[in-house]
Amino acid sequence: MAETDIRITAEPIDENRCKFVVSQPVLAGGVRRFAAAGEAHGSPLAEAIFAIPGLGVSELIVSGNIVTVVKQAPMPWQAAGRAVGAAIRAALAADVPAVTPARKPATGEGLAVTDDALYEQVAKVFDEQVNPMVARHGGRVELIDVQDAVVMLRMGGGCQGCGMADVTLRQGIEGMLAQLVPAVRGIVDITDHATGSNPYFQASKK
Amino acid sequence: MPRLLLLLPTSTYRTAAFVEAARRIGVELTVASEQPSTLEAANPAGFLTLDFEQPERAADAARVFATQHPINGVAGVDDNTALVAAAIATRLGLKGNPVHAAMAASDKFLQREQLAQAHVPIPRFVLRNLEEDPAAVAKSIPYPCVVKPVRLSASRGVIRADSPQAFVAAHGRLRAILQDPATAAACGDRARHYLIEEFVPGYEVALEGLVVNRRLHVLAIFDKPDPLDGPFFEETIYVTPSSVPAGLEAAIEDCAERAVRALGIVEGPIHAELRYNERGPCLIELAARPIGGRCSAVLRFGDQGVALEEVILRHALGMPIPSLQRESLAAGVMMIPIPGAGTLKEVSGVAEAKAVPLIEDVQITALPGERLVPFPEGSRYPGFIFARGETPRDVEAALRAAHQKLGFTLLPQQPPASGVGPTPP
Repeated sequence: MAETDIRITAEPIDENRCKFVVSQPVLAGGVRRFAAAGEAHGSPLAEAIFAIPGLGVSELIVSGNIVTVVKQAPMPWQAAGRAVGAAIRAALAADVPAVTPARKPATGEGLAVTDDALYEQVAKVFDEQVNPMVARHGGRVELIDVQDAVVMLRMGGGCQGCGMADVTLRQGIEGMLAQLVPAVRGIVDITDHATGSNPYFQASKK
Repeated sequence: MPRLLLLLPTSTYRTAAFVEAARRIGVELTVASEQPSTLEAANPAGFLTLDFEQPERAADAARVFATQHPINGVAGVDDNTALVAAAIATRLGLKGNPVHAAMAASDKFLQREQLAQAHVPIPRFVLRNLEEDPAAVAKSIPYPCVVKPVRLSASRGVIRADSPQAFVAAHGRLRAILQDPATAAACGDRARHYLIEEFVPGYEVALEGLVVNRRLHVLAIFDKPDPLDGPFFEETIYVTPSSVPAGLEAAIEDCAERAVRALGIVEGPIHAELRYNERGPCLIELAARPIGGRCSAVLRFGDQGVALEEVILRHALGMPIPSLQRESLAAGVMMIPIPGAGTLKEVSGVAEAKAVPLIEDVQITALPGERLVPFPEGSRYPGFIFARGETPRDVEAALRAAHQKLGFTLLPQQPPASGVGPTPP
């Protein structure tokens, strides 16, 4: 596909984090988190984004057609977004995969608790506690993956696009995981909230 | 670690900005809303349900909550929650405004009475009962005039009338808006009254400020380059820094400061709308809350680009504020004009709009299938465009160019019998 056919929508979350929704899959059927430039080797898109001058990228998450970039530099997303967009277009236009799938560490490798074990524990919390609660507002929370003890989740139903989704995430889910699965180091919401068609609470004031 | 009680209506646009600001400054956060969270039982210290329509009852509930989870600061995000925050601050001895000040800031009639007593320049005004015969009232007032609801915000229900016939028509539309059950409930007793005030010709600016220990710190003055001459008063573009001459800027700031003192506001954010002409500045509205919607995203302070929400939360908690100096770049936001009445089918051109130089973001907040209601019955913009650049002129041009790229497809919809706008969920 030509670079000009690729449409990218930037959705800044705050000054440091921005979600880029791409018109085609970047990593079909999977999710990959890069916590440092050294982890980007072999994934051209990640290598390119970590190498953007002056951006200070500290984290990159690729899931389906969503690329979430975390930067440390004060550079506004106006400028940063163009560089990230160009990197995404170039990587997708190349003949090699933009991102290689995550390599699951062998049991006992690196972390005290493996991501697989964490996945099971988090999935249990989601199934038995989180989802029965958010279902009362027609919502659901899907565990996408756990990488380097960071949970990647996607919100759906009444939670997708909900005006209070951040409160559910930070005050509810994050607190529950901190208590019940303390080995979790962070949570990343990879939901495309802009396409939520039936949010439980919809922002309506000026 | 200090605990902040953040009052977030479920209909606010500002949830993410305030929650993320609280995370950045590393405080224990309790989010209070008017409807319970489904996760409240899982984190009793993190959630609280308060009746935002009953500030004193909400303050009672907060006091009980604070016996288990001590609260160090409270912040509201809109007119209603600013009043509740004042009640809670007073009850718990926290930094905040007295209730009478927050009340005056949220009630357009009380506000005008107090500003007039303090000789702050404001339009001439009169409070009338909706049940009075509009044809009779129309004969007794000067023109052009503006009719206004006492409690609604975001220019909803605000209509200019240049003649008795136009006044009677405007009265009918405002009456229909105020008789909508949800609106009537939100306005309380004030739903039975309305204001008639002198139309003030001239240019309009918005002033964003933070009151610290009774002193107003001006954070930004926004130009509103599109004329706001009516008959309705839909906002479009805000650009800062303002291009008003320095002397006039000082007069605008002085006018706002006098209004702050007159209303008794002693702490926290304010947002004021002022007009100026050959007679000088004239205060149109002042609210004890920050700028609305997602517009705060254009404001950054200090070298680190601290967000307005972080400034507000740090102030509420008595934490150091790195800077109240806005960044050197010009910045602006367009509240995307409501393209017409109907049901939104789709929006095109978003990627093209984002590609316009200087545009930082285009956020479409209306969802497909959503009913769009133009002013004055409606007040919900379909989205926001943000830009930053070297000069206000560049920023304004970028906002207009980006808006030109957008296309809204609406499905026709029969107007409701009452002619009233949307109601919050």
